[in-house]
Amino acid sequence: MKRIRWKDFSLVSKIVIEVGLIAGLLFTMNLLFYVRINSSMQKMDNVYASNAQLTDLSQVFEQVQDNMYEYLKVKSSQSLMDYYQNEARYRNELEKLNDKNINDSVKLLERNIRKMSETYLDCTAETVAAKRGRNVEKYKRKYEDSTRLYSYIQTAIDELNNQLFKENTSSYSVLRQMMRYLEISNIIFMLVIVAVGMILLIMATRGMFRPLTSMAETAQLVGQGNFHVKMPDTDSQDELGEVTRAFNTMVENLDVYMAKTKESMEKEQQMMERELLMENHLKEAQLKYLQSQINPHFLFNSLNAGAQLAMMEDAEKTGIFVEKMADFFRYNVKKGQEDATLGEELEAVDNYIYILNVRFAGDIHFSSDVDESVENVRVPSMILQPVVENAVNHGIRDIDWEGQIHLTVTRDPRGICISICDNGKGMSEEEIQNVLSGNKEHSTQEGDSTGIGMNNVISRLELYYEQPDLLEIYSEGAGKGTEVVIHIPLIR
Amino acid sequence: MSSNPANYYLIIYIKKKANDADLLYNEIYQTKGMTIMKKKGMTLGLLLSGAGLLILLHMTGESYLNGLAGANRQMQADTKEYMYKYDMIVDNPESSFWQAVYASAEKWARENDSLLELKGTDEESQYTKLDYMNVSIASRADGIILQYSGEDGLEDKIDEAVADGIPVVTLMNDAVHSKRQTFVGVSDYQLGSAYGEKVADYVTRDTKNILILLKRNIDDMNQSQIYTQISNAAQAKTGAGQPVTVSVKNLLSSGTFGTEEAVTDIFQQRNKVPDILVCMDADTTECARQAVLDFNLAGKVTIIGYYTSPDILTAVEKGVLALTCDVDTEQMGKYSIEALTEFQKDGRSNSYYNVDINFLDKDAVRALRREGLSE
Repeated sequence: MKRIRWKDFSLVSKIVIEVGLIAGLLFTMNLLFYVRINSSMQKMDNVYASNAQLTDLSQVFEQVQDNMYEYLKVKSSQSLMDYYQNEARYRNELEKLNDKNINDSVKLLERNIRKMSETYLDCTAETVAAKRGRNVEKYKRKYEDSTRLYSYIQTAIDELNNQLFKENTSSYSVLRQMMRYLEISNIIFMLVIVAVGMILLIMATRGMFRPLTSMAETAQLVGQGNFHVKMPDTDSQDELGEVTRAFNTMVENLDVYMAKTKESMEKEQQMMERELLMENHLKEAQLKYLQSQINPHFLFNSLNAGAQLAMMEDAEKTGIFVEKMADFFRYNVKKGQEDATLGEELEAVDNYIYILNVRFAGDIHFSSDVDESVENVRVPSMILQPVVENAVNHGIRDIDWEGQIHLTVTRDPRGICISICDNGKGMSEEEIQNVLSGNKEHSTQEGDSTGIGMNNVISRLELYYEQPDLLEIYSEGAGKGTEVVIHIPLIR
Repeated sequence: MSSNPANYYLIIYIKKKANDADLLYNEIYQTKGMTIMKKKGMTLGLLLSGAGLLILLHMTGESYLNGLAGANRQMQADTKEYMYKYDMIVDNPESSFWQAVYASAEKWARENDSLLELKGTDEESQYTKLDYMNVSIASRADGIILQYSGEDGLEDKIDEAVADGIPVVTLMNDAVHSKRQTFVGVSDYQLGSAYGEKVADYVTRDTKNILILLKRNIDDMNQSQIYTQISNAAQAKTGAGQPVTVSVKNLLSSGTFGTEEAVTDIFQQRNKVPDILVCMDADTTECARQAVLDFNLAGKVTIIGYYTSPDILTAVEKGVLALTCDVDTEQMGKYSIEALTEFQKDGRSNSYYNVDINFLDKDAVRALRREGLSE
């Protein structure tokens, strides 16, 4: 069986029970007072009962004497009947008096009165009998005796009455004291019970509504943005328990929701930042082209015209050269703002090498080894040409031996690996670090550069793939050549 | 990280605030938890102390009520039922002499399962001893102890009581012509000779008048034994050459305040003031003592008193009274009850119990006082 717990009662039941208890307490208190006062009242009633009783006795006694006198005087049967009646009544009354020898003045007086009355009644009986027997002398004598006894008894009754009155007065004063005490004690009882009841009521009500108060405080905290606060767990089944649990669930959910919102906001922020950076770098690259103060469209249109002219003049080599030049610049202009396929990039490199070889009379020995399956992979534009340009300008230019550049495109577990390897001057570790960290801009020194530096390539790669270290440079030192490796991750 | 630093700082601020609030909340909650526990303890304590207070109130109240009621019931609690009920009828029950006799008699009565009621003519009642005898007979007492002083009709009443089966013990004086059961006291002869002897000690050449104050009928031959004995002793002391007038004054019928008036009368007639005044009861002795002081006759009148109330003893000590006769009240009370008890038991008893008497003078009283002090 489930244990009945106080906290599982509904608020209404709780309030009803509490008020009911207080009412019950007050009712019990009233009942108690009523009983106490009632018993005191009874005692009060009893106080003068003995006096009243004695008065009755005295009246009957007087009637006996009167009846006897009446009978002796008139000898009417009515008075005789009255006499017998009252005599019997008087005897009955006498039964109530003490007849034992008890050392208490009241009891002793009662005894004396009873005994004397018995003697008296014997005497009156004799008187009446003598009267009926017409024994004049005897009844007169007996009447005198009776009358004398009558006065003794009357005196004794008076005295008893007095004594009883004295005793009753003292017990009356005791009763008065008792009543006074009852009055005071009842007031104190009442005050204590009311005070305790009120305090209990206040405490119980407070206990009932305490969760509400703390919930208000907690809600305030939650309102200030703190979602880690919680109401203390409760298993009470009343309305407040329900509300508390609902509140806690709400705060928890709010927390989760807020965390999610925050996360997505941060992501958005990051994305915006990246796009902004990308734009910056492209702008920078474009600026470089603009700085070259060449209008590429005009340039490659002119070059195309040059190429057609060369064809018409059957200068085939010149035609191809000019055409390649035109292609190269067109690519630069076209792809300046978007990404390209790896194939297009490789074509741009081929064009560039062709142009250089025409310029430098075939001094550059370029070879490539490309996995053709990756030619359609999209990569940021203008990343291979600047690397090859660097290999030409800083690697194999001004060397005594035959300069060679080898480009390899292979698949590897990370994605695609592009390696540009030369047998030129090589680089020291310091130079490599400078290039990788973007401290040293190689591309600024030459007038014939395409204008895009290594650090620009590195930055764009990182921005595009959101990964660092996609470009690595290896060199075994001066004269040992340089290898630049670009990793293109496949997942984007 | 953020392009807008102000925004960033705002986030940090909110987080910090929330964290602070969190700590604050935990703190609040902890303190609240403690307060709740404290409050529970307080409630319990309050309830317990309330209940304790009520119980304490109730208990003290009940004991107080019981005390009140108990004081009332006390008198009844001491009561006891006795087998026999005796009446003691004397002339002046309030006097210390009779109170002493009653105290002794009452004590012995209680020991013999009897109840003793003291009755007598006092300021409250108009009853004579005859009336009291009537009442006692009518109320069927088991025995009567009566101070007999020779009143008219009293002997008949004694006979009436005896006829009703109520034994009567006479005190002080014997009702010789009645059917009284027992007499407890000093016989007149004995008393007379004892007083006579003492009177003779104080009789000098100047002694002319000796007055004896009695409370009984002098016509009675038996009573005159006192007079005769004192008179004889005085005459024997002075011899035939010096006549001494010995007179007796009966104060019996003097009524309320009569004793005092009669004694004052004696001292008012300066030339008739007796040389020696013999008082034969306690009341008279006290009146005589007061009169001697009032009339400034201390030392001029030799007073021989009766009984040893504190006032009388002081008077003897100061020389106002020459002597006082110490009657053994203890014996008197005891013998009275003894006689009645014996009668109830056997239907008969001794007809005469003798009570010791003893005269105390100044030295004897002082010795008595020292004894009393050393005790």
